[in-house]
Amino acid sequence: MSHHHGALSVEGLHVAYGEAQVLFDVHLTVPPGGLVACVGRNGAGKTTLLRTIAGFLRPRAGQVRYGDVDLVGRKPYELARMGIRYVQQDKRVFADLTVRENLRLASSATGDWDWDAVFRYFPRLKALLDRKGGYLSGGERQMLMIGRALLGRPKVLLVDEPTEGLAPAVVEQLGGVFQELKGQATILLVEQNLPLVGRVADKVYAVKEGRVVAEITDREAIRSAAVEAYL
Amino acid sequence: MDANLWVSGVVYGLSMGSIFFLLAAGLSLCFGLMRIISLDQLLYYSLGAYVAYQVNVATGLTWPAMVCGALAAGALSWVVERWVFDRIYAREITFTMITSFGILVAGVGAIKYVWGLVPRPMGIPVEAQVALLGVNVPVYRIIVIGVALAVYGLIQWVLNRTIVGTAIRAAVEDVDQVEGLGVDVYRLFTGTFVGAGMLSGLAGALHGPLVMVDPQMGLEVVPFVFMVVIIGGLGSLKGTLVSAFLVGQVVSLGSLIYAPLAQMAPFAAMLLILLWKPTGLYGSALLRR
Repeated sequence: MSHHHGALSVEGLHVAYGEAQVLFDVHLTVPPGGLVACVGRNGAGKTTLLRTIAGFLRPRAGQVRYGDVDLVGRKPYELARMGIRYVQQDKRVFADLTVRENLRLASSATGDWDWDAVFRYFPRLKALLDRKGGYLSGGERQMLMIGRALLGRPKVLLVDEPTEGLAPAVVEQLGGVFQELKGQATILLVEQNLPLVGRVADKVYAVKEGRVVAEITDREAIRSAAVEAYL
Repeated sequence: MDANLWVSGVVYGLSMGSIFFLLAAGLSLCFGLMRIISLDQLLYYSLGAYVAYQVNVATGLTWPAMVCGALAAGALSWVVERWVFDRIYAREITFTMITSFGILVAGVGAIKYVWGLVPRPMGIPVEAQVALLGVNVPVYRIIVIGVALAVYGLIQWVLNRTIVGTAIRAAVEDVDQVEGLGVDVYRLFTGTFVGAGMLSGLAGALHGPLVMVDPQMGLEVVPFVFMVVIIGGLGSLKGTLVSAFLVGQVVSLGSLIYAPLAQMAPFAAMLLILLWKPTGLYGSALLRR
């Protein structure tokens, strides 16, 4: 995996769906190789933030940068090829495609066919190669989604609520994976599971009604889930 | 009724179903992938027929004329996709449908301007007949059926055995997810649209010798093609093939029983099938988009 990193920075971001503004003047920074979490209630604008960074939404104003590179205005597939990978919420894998086809698609788009790197994090996927996405459990689907995003050696991983609805053992495993990935990619994690956030995040942003209301960098405060006070 | 009539009726129905399939397959793929109802496919069908007719008149050749028809239709569909659809994919489905209808009507007008209003007869490439269950049936109709089956096999192969096909199947489910993996979905859209346009043009070119080449021919098949797509189940290629042959038979055999049935029976069949299976014969409940 690549070890050349830049910081992911968002400055003065305003995003709207038509008339309805969802994000107001959002600023945040993920240091190179760091893992930063965004927490907040449903509808706070966290997913909108990730979708904007990933190129699916165009901001009304503001900047998104990776290192010195301006990301705004690029198409999602261009960003993905640049290594800015977005793992959507709701564990959406292609129901009609097998695990193998899912991985093959990601490999052909990125030119990275080193599936062993994926299996190192998620050995379970190796046994499921011929199973269709629609028949995977929630945890297996999440493994496939993150595994797919690891192909192409991502520089930035944008991960949207990966543990929602998963069994504690799987959450535990994902926590371990995120810890391993730290340092290898710059990660922005949207997550409501505060114990997991406390375990893996270097910094936490609390988002409320489209605004960043707190930036918590104190490890002890993050670990003790003091961030809850801001939600 | 005379058994001979039934045999030729079935062959007639299958060949007509083959034309419907070639048209509906493109329409169904365009809907599945880009979520557009591309009525302009019927223009490429007409253009395919006219170009095949024109090349046939100029050169006396029939098969190469049909290839020219399909290629011309593909070229026009490429222009339309790049200039029009590429700008409006994100719009509401009704917007793209009305736009595509506008392209169809304008195109039919252009065809009338160039070729006039009078229907033109097109030469048939194979005049021979072959005995089937003791009944002489035109070899050309059997070739048309063979072409449709070959196209079906080819599309299935592309969808299931190539990476482009994998990307198309995935994008039918969730186009954002495919783009998020780094796939240039716009190229996928263009390729699919042009492929659909070529199939429509091929349908027109193959149909030319069986009917008169006529400016209204595209508009006349609209209801049948829609029925095929709906009965088969949106997004299902297998469903489209089965339903195309079914509609072909209903029209052909219906008209043998009682002539006005040819127009009415397919609609009745569609209603019955949708009452029984609201998603169409092979419509997938997995497709939630």
